[in-house]
Amino acid sequence: MSTLRRLWQTIWESYRVGLFVIAVAIVLTLLTPRFMQAENLMNVLTNASVTAIVGLGMTLAIASGNFDLSVGSIAAFAGSISMSLVPSIGIAGGVAAGLLTGAIVGLINGLIITELRVPAFIATLGMLTIVRGLTLIYTSGHDIYLYGQTGYKILSAGAMPLVLALVLAALLGFVVKYTRFGRHVLAVGSNSAAATRSGVRTSRVLWGVFAIVGTTAALSGMIISAQVLTANGRLATGLELSAIAVAVIGGTPLSGGKATMIGTLLGALLVSTINNGLNLLNVQIFFQELTTGVLLLIAVAFSIRRGYHPRALLRRQA
Amino acid sequence: MSATTISPLSTRRSLDWDRLWERFGISVVLLGVWVLAAIFIPAFSNPDNFINILRQSAFVGIAAVGMTMAIISGSFDLSIGSTLALAAWTAVVTASATGSALIALFAAVLVGALVGCVNGWLVTVVKIPAFVATLGMLFIVRGITFIITNGAPSRYNGPEFIWWGNGSLLGIPVPFIVFLVCAAIGAAVLRYTALGRYIFALGSNAGAARVAGVPINLVTFLVFVIVGIFTGISAMLLGSRLYSAGPGLEPGFELNVIATVVLGGTRLAGGRGSMLGTLAAALLFATLGNVLNLLQIDAFVQRVAVGLVLLIALSIEGVRQRLAERLSRE
Repeated sequence: MSTLRRLWQTIWESYRVGLFVIAVAIVLTLLTPRFMQAENLMNVLTNASVTAIVGLGMTLAIASGNFDLSVGSIAAFAGSISMSLVPSIGIAGGVAAGLLTGAIVGLINGLIITELRVPAFIATLGMLTIVRGLTLIYTSGHDIYLYGQTGYKILSAGAMPLVLALVLAALLGFVVKYTRFGRHVLAVGSNSAAATRSGVRTSRVLWGVFAIVGTTAALSGMIISAQVLTANGRLATGLELSAIAVAVIGGTPLSGGKATMIGTLLGALLVSTINNGLNLLNVQIFFQELTTGVLLLIAVAFSIRRGYHPRALLRRQA
Repeated sequence: MSATTISPLSTRRSLDWDRLWERFGISVVLLGVWVLAAIFIPAFSNPDNFINILRQSAFVGIAAVGMTMAIISGSFDLSIGSTLALAAWTAVVTASATGSALIALFAAVLVGALVGCVNGWLVTVVKIPAFVATLGMLFIVRGITFIITNGAPSRYNGPEFIWWGNGSLLGIPVPFIVFLVCAAIGAAVLRYTALGRYIFALGSNAGAARVAGVPINLVTFLVFVIVGIFTGISAMLLGSRLYSAGPGLEPGFELNVIATVVLGGTRLAGGRGSMLGTLAAALLFATLGNVLNLLQIDAFVQRVAVGLVLLIALSIEGVRQRLAERLSRE
């Protein structure tokens, strides 16, 4: 009996979100035949991947004990820069420029936090406004279209977003688990002062973390703009909150020091599956925000029962 | 042991500097900006223009009064942007049904307080950290607003109702008077009541506060209700100012409010902060927007400027700390 219970407990703790996804998928299959159609499933996966990619970066930031509120603005900025450069330097060049933009803005975030000692919450909040403004200035408030450059669609076509999300999850999962940098990220996230005393160069770790978050945000932004071959200053508004939401739903505790990349993938999949189901069942589109909120609260209520202390976050924001 | 060689006198002096900057720094900056703007931009000192600044500062400012208390207590509330939209819509609909501005105000405050109760319940009973609880509520309340409004704003322009957002008393805009009253009440609660002292105690050290007998759950709960109430007041004034309100109202409002509170010198870590700073910071942001408008700088550059001001203001302390550390090492 106790072995069974322990087995169930292990399954529950590691695959909780996955079980939810399966349960929701079964219910939807029973409710509407359209859910299981290949095209629809692809849709679910693509939508999940776009949030997951930036969510994976955010997971790393949360594991290091920080947030990045500027990812939505970075996504718009990188998308716009990348698209505007494609006609002159080609698709590969444009994508590289977008990723580089994300990494640079992320690095600036890191520098503001470590060198000017501004708390991450405020530093990235300031950058949210600044980078959004820069994007609007850069695009003069207009849309950037890519006429005839359908090659750019490679970023969003077919299984590409899914492949990118999976590769990124594997990569970041490996980094966190098996590299020195990854262990340092977790150390800084569990106890920044102790990590510093043990010789971890906290500043460099944070530069790396925020550069990675910026890069993932840029990638998400470019996929979103590739889907419609348009970029503008309003792209990806509010992405920061969705990214934090999927990471938390996936089981990464806000108290830092822990990260689950698979959890984040599943969290994004859960949100996207439920939203898709609501769509298919002709529920008003407005219910989608409601579900994200409810899911977030339920997920965290569960993780609290596993003994994570709710006050930890407050203490860390100094 | 070498650290003890710093004389007590010098540490106290540098501490006073800290305190002074924290308490009055932003007010001094505000006065400086006003003087410079008056000298270099002729249109700035025009009374109409100045009155406009006062009015604009109130909408974010009133919500920031509640948020100041929340941040001092070590929590914060991300849901207020959504609450603002729901409460403003409620105010407009109530005003158009009853014709009474006071009932509309009451309805908006009630909505705010209700959302605050749910937030407080989530944080103190379900034990979800404030950041996630109020982030979830941001989505939920916005969803509810979209559902009950069906995505469309409501309008009402009865003269009694729109006076609250657009009128003046003795030449001073009504929203600004309300803002001053709210800030005074907030400051009085923080300084002269047990609740205020509990809020500071909770924010400085939650564990110590609990051991000392502070009812931390009750205080946290009340703080969220207070944030909701002030957001409701702000929402009613905004609905009145715009003659309309709907689910699209003020995205990013919560972040503007938090930026205002923090620019005013309140520490995100809790335990320290002042209402005077919040008042000055709300005026400073309104002034900044106004000055950039007068200089005909486009709205996109304004966003960059606002973000830069926030970052510069908040990095001063860190940079000074670093300099002090370097000096003490030499």
